[in-house]
Amino acid sequence: MADGTTEVAPKPTATVGRLARFPLRKTIQLVIGIAVVAGAAWGAYRTISLGTFTGAAWRDLVVFGVAQGAIYMLIALGYSMVYGVLRMINFAHGEVFMFGAFGSYFVARVLNDHGLINSSPVLSIAILMIAGMVCSVAVAVLLERVAYRPLRNAPRLVPLITAIGASLFLQNTARGFFGDQDRGYPTPDSLGGSWTILGIPILRSSVIVIVVAVTMVAALTWFVARTKTGKSMRAVAEDKDIASLMGINVDRVVVMTFVIGGMLAGVAAVLFALVFGLVGPFMGFVPGIKAFTAAVLGGIGSIAGAAIGGLILGVLESVGPALFLTGLKIPGPNQLKDVFTFTILVLVLIFRPGGIMGTGEPEKV
Amino acid sequence: MTMARSELRRRAVRAGLLAAVAIVYLCLVGMVQAFSTRNIVGGNLPLSRILLLLPSAVAASLAVRPRVRGGVTMELNMGEAAGAGASIGLIAGAAVAVGIGIVNLIGQEAVRGVFNAVTSALMLTLTLQRSTVVGTAILVALSTATGALFALAGVLAPRLRRPIVTGLTVVLLMGMLQSVVRVMLVQLGLATQWLYSVTFGGLTYLGAVASFAAGMAAARLWALRREAAAADAAERAEAGGRPRIPRAMLLVPVGFVLLALPALLGTFLSAVLGQVGIFVLMGLGLNIVVGYAGLLDLGYVAFFAVGAYATGVLTAAVNSGSSLHPGLPFLLAVPIVVLIAVAAGLLIGGPVLRLRGDYLAIVTLGFGEIARVLVTSDWLKSFLGGAQGLIAIPAPTMSVGGLHIDFRNPQPFYYLALGFCLLAAFVSWRLANSRVGRAWNAMREDEQVAEAMGVSTVRYKLLAFACGAAIGSLGGALFAVQIGSLAPSSFVFFISIQSLAIIILGGMGSIPGVIVGALVLVGLPGFLTEFAEYQPLIYGAVLVAIMLYRPEGLIPNVRRTRELHEEEVEQDAWLEGVPEPAPSMTLGEAVE
Repeated sequence: MADGTTEVAPKPTATVGRLARFPLRKTIQLVIGIAVVAGAAWGAYRTISLGTFTGAAWRDLVVFGVAQGAIYMLIALGYSMVYGVLRMINFAHGEVFMFGAFGSYFVARVLNDHGLINSSPVLSIAILMIAGMVCSVAVAVLLERVAYRPLRNAPRLVPLITAIGASLFLQNTARGFFGDQDRGYPTPDSLGGSWTILGIPILRSSVIVIVVAVTMVAALTWFVARTKTGKSMRAVAEDKDIASLMGINVDRVVVMTFVIGGMLAGVAAVLFALVFGLVGPFMGFVPGIKAFTAAVLGGIGSIAGAAIGGLILGVLESVGPALFLTGLKIPGPNQLKDVFTFTILVLVLIFRPGGIMGTGEPEKV
Repeated sequence: MTMARSELRRRAVRAGLLAAVAIVYLCLVGMVQAFSTRNIVGGNLPLSRILLLLPSAVAASLAVRPRVRGGVTMELNMGEAAGAGASIGLIAGAAVAVGIGIVNLIGQEAVRGVFNAVTSALMLTLTLQRSTVVGTAILVALSTATGALFALAGVLAPRLRRPIVTGLTVVLLMGMLQSVVRVMLVQLGLATQWLYSVTFGGLTYLGAVASFAAGMAAARLWALRREAAAADAAERAEAGGRPRIPRAMLLVPVGFVLLALPALLGTFLSAVLGQVGIFVLMGLGLNIVVGYAGLLDLGYVAFFAVGAYATGVLTAAVNSGSSLHPGLPFLLAVPIVVLIAVAAGLLIGGPVLRLRGDYLAIVTLGFGEIARVLVTSDWLKSFLGGAQGLIAIPAPTMSVGGLHIDFRNPQPFYYLALGFCLLAAFVSWRLANSRVGRAWNAMREDEQVAEAMGVSTVRYKLLAFACGAAIGSLGGALFAVQIGSLAPSSFVFFISIQSLAIIILGGMGSIPGVIVGALVLVGLPGFLTEFAEYQPLIYGAVLVAIMLYRPEGLIPNVRRTRELHEEEVEQDAWLEGVPEPAPSMTLGEAVE
């Protein structure tokens, strides 16, 4: 307390004073921290000493986790960039992803009818990605224009609630338009099977996912660091008002951010559909939440953070239940995969709200 | 001042295109076809046709409203308005015509491969059950006429416009709520044939005219009453007297209606009201967390699940899927359920004390998902029944003078829900006006200032979570009683959103708002079964629309409104030349 206030405040009685000084929040955090670390260590120790999984099994889990994480990474970048520029969680980003998947699905069906998917898989995957990107970008830009732009200076909960509403609206629009059944996504036959890279057999789809995702992130990093638009984006993220005084068209930069987020989501959608072979109106929700977790885990607002967060989350989700829960004799550890993700989110926000790459707290006022 | 021609044209085209997008959307999403069987008036005006004309009507009446440009009000004369409205309707109708043309060109099968809703039934609905060319032409003509008519209504003086709009709304509501109103009239022993058509189900023409007249009369009376009340209040303010009829007296007739409703509505509609009651409880609980304390909780379903599962486990007497079955009586179980929920509230509230705004929202969402996954998992299967859920949850029973009452029956259940709701509303109301409520207010408006003024934010945040959890768990307990078996698939994220939409629609921090919100968002889809499928879609649209156009909700809480419109109030004051209460520093002063 500042010394000015102590003079004015009435003297509290001894007990009340002691109670008030008791660091309730710190204690709760400490207890949770110790419990989690101890539980995880004990579970891992027990699992390894049980020896249910071989080294190869662990390796496959890690590789699959990396591929999964690469998809999260692409979606997470969309959350992260929008958060960086507008300081809002674009809750409907998962739906942007879903519309990209549907857009590419209808193109894929046409390609499949002409047998192009199997005769020239590389060309058709490129076409699918462009289709996915176009659809996602269209939805993202529309979303920004209709739902978010009028609320740019509203109290912070207002755009968030709007985003939740928009997410629900888009989800059920897709359900009304395309029906609520999942549809099988035509995938090239040559994508099945695996390649051996450095002596490790890796699923071909995983290889493609990882290569495409890494390329996209590299391109994005270059774009933000080197181009003029990238520079103005960083300026707007730093301070919207000053940036606009410096002659930057903030509206244009915000639209650009949504365009880039949409492109990444569109690519992620095609990769997701190629790996899992299904599209449906509710496919965006869970990957969306997980990608957001990844963005927070890495440090929201930073590109490297989203990339690292995505990879870590993917691996943890794939390895974690087996490693920490099998040893504790918990039946059906993979059912608890999502609990894992959310527990990580909660823990990161409690102990390091800025994320791995971030500094300090995400928000002061 | 009249508007420039080019601006008028631009505005009309814009409104027309928006209406066109809305109509095409409604067709593709399947709503038009879904509502084609509910007749509103006679046999020729089903809800689907109203839906087809509604976008043009709304767009036309909004587009011709007078606008203020640079301090000058620009108004349209009747001729201009009618012309603009007709072109809006024409554009919207033409869009549908083009759509019909495209479908016929490519072939229905091909279009249905993408858009599920494009069926031959929809095409028939769009062409008004006639041949393609004739039907389309009639539709375009109707749309144009509707646009022109509503544009004319839009430029009428408010004194004339309001009764008309109210009258039309009453007709629409009477038509949509046909089942409810008819059942009530029959129970009261009144004739319904003159009001509702036996063949078509909707209003008869006589009934429509009567409803319209009643609506107009009500609007006129209301306006007169308000004028009188305003004059009265001014008089009283001078004399310093009290209102003639105390507000509390109004509660007596309301109470009678509430008690009589199940007898009037019959079993099915009482069940819907019971459902509304459950969501009133959810809304009241979430209202404490979000509306009073300003903590956006997106995982509120967790408390609903805690309440339902705790009730299920505690009251089950036989093997219900859980290894525990103590078989406590319901009323004994409820306090324990509330205690468990409070513990859960503290458990969730504890870790998130430091988080604010959107981070808090996402973490609570995570907790909600954790709750769902945990009840589904094999890990807790022996207690909570896993994916199969719990079965054979007994309903509380009561014997009054040899009369055996089973609270699972909709009508007794309604009274149980009503009791719980009244209790929760009373608690909320007392909390809002207490020291605790003021602390929450302070915390919501500015956490740091509140902390500096001596409000222990840690304690009050935990208290908000605990209170919210307690009330939400009552909703869960009622749910367990009503259904008698619990499946994990009932405890999804959508429940959280449903509760949130209720308080957003009604107005955050407003108890009457919660009740209205629950009646509209849970009651209406319950009464109108064809709405049920579009419930989530409508919820999403409601959330966005309310946030964009009326963030304080339908029945606003005064303080909340002020918070949400702070800037606008300042701007208005500036425009009217009223000095601001606390003048902020201008750039010039800052330089000096």
